[in-house]
Amino acid sequence: MTVLRAMEKTMTCAEFQESLPDLFETHADLNAQDHLKTCENCAALVRDLEYIASQAKLLLPMHDPSPAVWDHIQQAIRQPPEAPPSVQPGRK
Amino acid sequence: MERFVLMNAGPTQPRPANQHMRRNPPIAGEQEAIDKAREGDARAFETLYAMHKRRVYSLCLRMLGNVAEAEDLTQEAFLQLYRKIGTFRGDSAFSTWLHRLAVNVVLMHLRRKGLPQVSLEETLEPSQDDGPRKDIGARDLTLSGSIDRVTLERAIENLPPGYRLVFVLHDVEGYEHNEIAEMLDCSIGNSKSQLHKARMKLRDLLHTGQRKEQIA
Repeated sequence: MTVLRAMEKTMTCAEFQESLPDLFETHADLNAQDHLKTCENCAALVRDLEYIASQAKLLLPMHDPSPAVWDHIQQAIRQPPEAPPSVQPGRK
Repeated sequence: MERFVLMNAGPTQPRPANQHMRRNPPIAGEQEAIDKAREGDARAFETLYAMHKRRVYSLCLRMLGNVAEAEDLTQEAFLQLYRKIGTFRGDSAFSTWLHRLAVNVVLMHLRRKGLPQVSLEETLEPSQDDGPRKDIGARDLTLSGSIDRVTLERAIENLPPGYRLVFVLHDVEGYEHNEIAEMLDCSIGNSKSQLHKARMKLRDLLHTGQRKEQIA
């Protein structure tokens, strides 16, 4: 992290973008990165990536499977042991 | 077997609770249901199904983009759970263990369906042509505030399967990289790398969509 900060003043865009996965994972304040103060392109990139990640968190919950799925699971489980349970497609 | 190429391997940092909500918290009554289901209790298995069907189905639906196929794979995942629940040792959270099982069902299906000659490694590691490029040039559009749920869902559907899987598990479902690495039998560094590539690729897809809308 210290090395990262020392390097960032002279970072090119490519180098900064190379370091982005680690920066995101450490939850550093990306807006405080020196490179972003002088590079609008990388600043826009960071804004977009943060926006995508934040929007993705809003995607849950989704729908439940139809009741037929549980019916088919029950049917398959009830099959005798000599015939191992197999998937019966719900809809084809 | 290592399924990803090792990149940027390293330990994950703990996430501050206020920044990233944990999405697989312990569920009341789950442990009791697991114990009983392992003994063959059908009602307990039904309880586990009720607890986890939405997340397993959501994963299948996002990976396949097709309701019928997603329901078939949800069915297959829970049948495998029924057969294998006796092997669950509690080394990881039950939801993580079940998700790993579901992920394997999805990956096997993808290989059978569209990529019969492609190895699992290639399924999870899109080619350079598929991947995102570095963003060195100027852009005239910003995504902030402009993307609705439907647009984002559609863009996710267009990600290569390997990117899509890591993005859905991490950014949508809230799994940590160490959990994803465990599920996918890959390194933590590779999970991080795949996630970053997925976000970059999504950004490309979303910007392309914006430009098409502007032209239209």
